[in-house]
Amino acid sequence: MSNLFDAMMAMSHTEIGIWVTGAMLLFVLIGVRVAFAAALAGFLGLVWIFSAKLGFERGFLVAVKMAGTIPHSKVSTLALSLIPAFILIGFLAYHAGLTRSLFEAAKRWVGWLPGGMGVATVFSTAGFAAVSGASVATSAVFARIAVPEMLKLGYDKRFAAGVVAAGGTLASLIPPSAILVIYAIIVEQDVGALLMAGFLPGMVSALIYAGLVIGLAKWRRNLGPPAPRYDWKARLAALPAALPVLIVVGIIFVCIYGGVGTPTEAGSLGAFVILCLALYKGMRWKELRGALLETAKLTVMIFTIIWGVLIYVRFLGFADLPHAFAEWIGGLHQSPMVTLLLILCAYAVLGMFMDAIGMLLLTLPVVYPAVIALNGGPDVVAAESAFGLSAVGVSIWFGIIVVKMAELCLITPPIGLNCFVVAGVRPECSVQDVFRGVVPFFAADVTTIGVLIALPQIVLWLPSQMGFG
Amino acid sequence: MTMSSSHLVLSDDSLLSRVDRALFWLEARLTLLGGILILALVLLATTNVLGRWLFDRPVNGYIDWVEQAMAFFAFLGIAYTQRLGGHIRMDILIARLSGRWLWGVEFLSTLLILLLTLVLVYGAWLHFYRAWEIGDSSLDIDLPTWPAKLVVPVSLAFLALRLSLQLWGYGRAFWRGDPSPVAVPLIEDTATLAAKEAELMLDEDDPENPS
Amino acid sequence: TEWNVSLWGKRRAFTEHVEKLAELVDQKTNGQFKLNISYGGLSKPKENLDGIAIGAFEMAQFCSFYHKQKNPTITVTELPFSKDLSLTRIAEIQSKVHKHPIVVKDLARWNATLLMPTPLPQYNIIGKGKPVKELDDFKGMRIRGPGGIMGVLGKLGAIKTGVPFTEVRQAMDSGVIDAASFAPHAHLATKTYKVGKWATTNLNLGTADCPVVVNTDALNALKPEYRNALMGSIDEALAYYIDNYENKVIGEYEKAIDEAGLKRVTFTPAQTARLNELAESVREDWVKHNAKQFDSKALFDFTAALFNKSE
Ligand code: NA
Ligand code: NA
Repeated sequence: MSNLFDAMMAMSHTEIGIWVTGAMLLFVLIGVRVAFAAALAGFLGLVWIFSAKLGFERGFLVAVKMAGTIPHSKVSTLALSLIPAFILIGFLAYHAGLTRSLFEAAKRWVGWLPGGMGVATVFSTAGFAAVSGASVATSAVFARIAVPEMLKLGYDKRFAAGVVAAGGTLASLIPPSAILVIYAIIVEQDVGALLMAGFLPGMVSALIYAGLVIGLAKWRRNLGPPAPRYDWKARLAALPAALPVLIVVGIIFVCIYGGVGTPTEAGSLGAFVILCLALYKGMRWKELRGALLETAKLTVMIFTIIWGVLIYVRFLGFADLPHAFAEWIGGLHQSPMVTLLLILCAYAVLGMFMDAIGMLLLTLPVVYPAVIALNGGPDVVAAESAFGLSAVGVSIWFGIIVVKMAELCLITPPIGLNCFVVAGVRPECSVQDVFRGVVPFFAADVTTIGVLIALPQIVLWLPSQMGFG
Repeated sequence: MTMSSSHLVLSDDSLLSRVDRALFWLEARLTLLGGILILALVLLATTNVLGRWLFDRPVNGYIDWVEQAMAFFAFLGIAYTQRLGGHIRMDILIARLSGRWLWGVEFLSTLLILLLTLVLVYGAWLHFYRAWEIGDSSLDIDLPTWPAKLVVPVSLAFLALRLSLQLWGYGRAFWRGDPSPVAVPLIEDTATLAAKEAELMLDEDDPENPS
Repeated sequence: TEWNVSLWGKRRAFTEHVEKLAELVDQKTNGQFKLNISYGGLSKPKENLDGIAIGAFEMAQFCSFYHKQKNPTITVTELPFSKDLSLTRIAEIQSKVHKHPIVVKDLARWNATLLMPTPLPQYNIIGKGKPVKELDDFKGMRIRGPGGIMGVLGKLGAIKTGVPFTEVRQAMDSGVIDAASFAPHAHLATKTYKVGKWATTNLNLGTADCPVVVNTDALNALKPEYRNALMGSIDEALAYYIDNYENKVIGEYEKAIDEAGLKRVTFTPAQTARLNELAESVREDWVKHNAKQFDSKALFDFTAALFNKSE
């Protein structure tokens, strides 16, 4: 026993780091909630490291005190105040009736195209993404609104369900997006720059989806027959109700891109506008209370996993593990692009089993420095780097690709949640139907990721206009 | 693994279930307080930015107030979220277990969280106590930081209480081989969860599409 | 023996004395005593004193204005004494104040011993919008800065707005702050000059006190030869720091604001006199506000005498 203790005390920091990381994965695997699994592993790691230095009794106490400072310290970070505002805005947008207005407007404008109702669904989910940060919720809402209309027109039910499940994933790229905020904070990158970076890739995704829908509908007429045309008067008449979405998009752009406010102020102003609209549309205390309770719960969930993981990250800081991992990755004798693709594939596999936020928080502290090292380090200039991008550029570009990757996993088996949600809302669609319906969209997403890897400018153009990149 | 779903928690007339519901009542109020603070934050930020644009008069000490408020809405609802099984986890393995095996593993993972929580209650208390005893203040307007630091160990103590109750629940289920125990969040299959997730957004009466 | 050192941000002029100290100690002890410097991995800057108190790391840097109430005594060196001094002299003054019994007692509550200062030149302001002409132009201006300067500008109606160091440029870009007051190295690090339109040249309202501290128990537990290696390297580390600062950083800063085309704002003697008048009342306020917690009058007189002696 004492031999084991001595052996443990004699281990190198890298070895300790690997053991502790293994323990964390074990905790996650046996169902310990991710936030606490990470915190527990991090705490045990701190005990280990401090014991090796100070002896067990003092080391244990130092670890307790160190771990005890982190929850308050890490949670009281100004940039994180954006998250509850972004969550609240999504819950309020539903009560403000924005989903229905958006779909109605999109239907009148593009419904006449082949597969037009599907295209309308894609565009209205993209529009809703501009007031919502959660893709699962977006799929749920549109499964209720859009699927029946498509079925009425004789759409293939698998196709209809697939459009909705895939369309929901747009919410995490198009700002506001809680997951991009979390990424920005973990990698200490500018939140505003990341939010802006998600905008064009979100649009590109939506356009690729829309193109796919039209193509499929042309190829097989029974998949998605066109809807009746609306005249211009009817089209214009549908716009005012959807206007608040444009206001929110405008606020976010003016504040962040135009540089007149912080992202938190943008989110709060947006939430305030939607709150006024929801109150005007008849939301009362009972609904508001429900929205606040759900917002608070989701906020707590996210903050808990943030501080929990940061206890583990603090341990990593003392063990200096990210540094060791980055050196290892940097020393591999293969092209950096191959390494990057392997990292992305690992994310794809992990994402099939894990929630996106949990996955990013658990892995980024180690993976991110490695990606930066792969590109040539934190001070590298574009011309001398492996990917032809500055360190800031790579950190933004990688963030968008990883988030898109995480979203892709929401429509893959075994637990692609968006598909389950759609099947849950539509009794006529089984889960298998939805999974089959999203197959073409899965292919579209892989294409999108390929495009984003090949053309980083799509990601980096808006941030570079703000002076990042 | 899901984001926000509330899992099913059964209840009956037993002491365990009554204590569970009493604690839940309190937890829900703490969480709602957190939600109201979030709304207040949104209004404060709106006032700040409008004040700046329209009257060139931002809220004095805005950043200090926000930073102090954050610990409150990040922690007040922590026990409530645990009660509902709302903290994310990977249940792909344990969803395959049932009966005593399941309650045994749940008991173990809950015990691990409880031990961690007790450690953190003490550590966070000491962090508060330093701010209280020696002093600490915010950057701009010298707000004391101890209230925000105190909310952490207090909320974690509520979490410890909740975890103890869940240990009791899982322990009892294990002892009795109970197929549907009370006072603990039950694992549901993904489809059921998804349906609930959907309801979350849609449970209000929809005037245009009554269902 | 290995010591962990908690700094923040990136390696920069502000941290060169710690880097030099680590190098010297390593040399003198043949690598037997190592200082492992971490930039942000061990703590948030505002919790560095907590980390020292806990014993999580043995050495750290912090700024006194981050949390006045944690270290009320050493905010005295931030007061606007309206004296433009060399970095060498500032280092001497701060070192002496740091050894004053009242200060030692204050830091002892954190189990901390002040090891060496981080001497910084007078802070100057870079701002956007119209260049300041009259002192009244400061009215309503949102400025990030340490206590002394903000005390004076606050009396002119400026609003102290403490955004995190790493977010200064973004905050200035988005109008959360209109201006930031920094020593030259920090203007360079945050790139305020890329957003700003003007820079003051002769603001003489003091600087910040961002000392390096060590955990007292760890210091006392050091073997005598290691301790000598550490304490004996301080002067050389500081000299290296000051040389780097005065001969490299200030030139780089001047170049950067010229290249960015910032308008230089130089206060007239009359304006400076008015600022000094306000500075005097800020100093008086400091003595009054802290009288309950410690013998603020004694510490102030001690510090003021050091500043005046250098005339
Ligand atoms: Na969004
Ligand atoms: Na998934």
